[in-house]
Amino acid sequence: MTELLIDPDIRVWVFLPIVLITFLVGIVRHYVSILISTQKKAEITQIQDSQAMIRARLLRENGKYLSAQSFSMRKNYFNNEETGYFKTQKRAPVAQNSSAMLTDMVKGNFINVLPMVVIGGWINWMFSGFVTTKVPFPLTLRFKPMLQRGVELASLDAAWVSSASWYFLNVFGLRSIYTLVLGENNHADQTQAQADAMTGAAMTMPQDPKAAFKAEWEALEITEYHNALKNIDADMLAIASAPAASS
Amino acid sequence: MGSKLFNKLLLIAGFASLAHAAFSAAHHRTYLRLTEQEWNSLPLDIILQTVISLVIVIYNIIEIVGNFKEIRATVDMQQKTWDTLGNFPSFYSFNHRGRALNPGYTPPE
Amino acid sequence: MNRVKTTQSKTGEIIAYSEGAIRNNISAVEYCRTSMAAISGCAAGILGLSGTLGFLFYFLSVFVLWILVLVKSGTQWRKFFINRRNLLTNQFMGGLCTYVLFWTFLYGMAHVY
Repeated sequence: MTELLIDPDIRVWVFLPIVLITFLVGIVRHYVSILISTQKKAEITQIQDSQAMIRARLLRENGKYLSAQSFSMRKNYFNNEETGYFKTQKRAPVAQNSSAMLTDMVKGNFINVLPMVVIGGWINWMFSGFVTTKVPFPLTLRFKPMLQRGVELASLDAAWVSSASWYFLNVFGLRSIYTLVLGENNHADQTQAQADAMTGAAMTMPQDPKAAFKAEWEALEITEYHNALKNIDADMLAIASAPAASS
Repeated sequence: MGSKLFNKLLLIAGFASLAHAAFSAAHHRTYLRLTEQEWNSLPLDIILQTVISLVIVIYNIIEIVGNFKEIRATVDMQQKTWDTLGNFPSFYSFNHRGRALNPGYTPPE
Repeated sequence: MNRVKTTQSKTGEIIAYSEGAIRNNISAVEYCRTSMAAISGCAAGILGLSGTLGFLFYFLSVFVLWILVLVKSGTQWRKFFINRRNLLTNQFMGGLCTYVLFWTFLYGMAHVY
C-alpha cells in the first residue's frame, strides 16, 4: 500500500470540520423540523368517521363471539338503508385536505433532503482537488471514480478518498448517534420512516370518505353470522374434565 | 446513586485512557515515519491500553444504562393488590344516601 | 390493531407482554449497541486494523455486547427479552455504519496524519 504523507492542515481544516458540520447540521435540522411542523388539528368528523370504520371492522372480525341478536343489531346500525351510519352520513368531498398534505410533504422533503444535497455540493466544490483520508479497508478500482472525485490519478489506491465521500460516510455513520444524543423520535434521522404516529384514532382518513363508507358497507353486508361459541359449554367441560381425568 | 457515580467516573477514566492511547499511537506512528522504519503493529502496551479501556467503557455504559424492565404484563401486576389496581378515582360516586348524615340536610318533600 | 403482543409458552398458556417495557428494554440495548459500535470503531482505528481484521473486530464486539447483555439479565433473560437471536442481529447494519465511520475517523487521525 502506498504510504502518502498528508499535510496536517488538512486534518485541522477539512477532516474535523466536515465531521462537525455534519453533526451540527443534523442537530439543527432536528430543531428546525420541530419548529416548522404544524400541529395537525383533528377534525371531529374525521375522528368520528375513522372510529366508526374501526368499529365496523372489529364487528366483522370478532362478531362471531356475540350472540345472533347483538350481531344483527350492530350490523343494522351500520348498514340499514334508511338509518344506517354508512348510508346517512354525508360528507363533503374533501378537496382541501390535499393542499395540506402537499405542503406537509414538501416541507418534509425540504427539511430532509435539501440540506444533505446542498452541503454535499458545497463540500465538493470547496474541498476538492486533494485526498482527505484513507479508509482502512481495501476497495476495488470500481469505486475510484465515485470516491475520488476531483483527484485524477490513475495509480492512486482506491482507499484514498476525497472530502465528498468522507462527508457521505459521516452522514450515514452519524444517523445512529442522533438517537443517542437526541433521544428517540428525533427528526435528524431522515432515513427513519416518519410514520404518522398519531395517538388514538387514525387521523389519516382516506381522501374520500364516501368510497370508504361504501367499501365498508359492502364488506359488512356480506359478512354472515357464525356463532363461534355454539358448543362452548361442552368444550369447556371437556377441557375441565380432561386434566382431572389424566391426573 | 452511589454506584452510578462510580460507573460514570470509571467511564470518564476509560474515555481518557482511550484518548491517551490514540495520542500515543499517533505519536508512535510519527516517530516511525521520521525514522523511516517499517510499521507492522503498535507496541504491546498501547494495544493493551486500548483493549482494556474499550472493555471498561463498554462495561460501564451497560451499567449506566440501567436495569431492564420486566416485560411480562402480569408480573408487576401480581405485586399489587386489588385495592391499588381497582381504584378508579373518576368512577367515584358521591350521589348516595350518605348525604343524609349532613346536619344541614332537609329531606325533600 | 392495538393488540397486546402475546406468545404461547411451552405449557400452552398465553403470556401477554407489556409493550412499554419491551420498547424500553430494546431502546436501552440500542443505546448500548450504538455506543459500543462507536467505541469499538475508535479502538479499531487506534489499533490500525485494516480490511478483514477490522470487520472481524466488529463482529467480535457485537458478539461480546450480546454476551454482556445476557449476563446482565442473568439466567432469567426470558423476563426481559422475547427473542435472543433478535437481540444479536438487531440494528446490525446501522451499527456497522457507525463502526466504519469511527474506524475511519480514528484511523485517519492516528495513522494517516
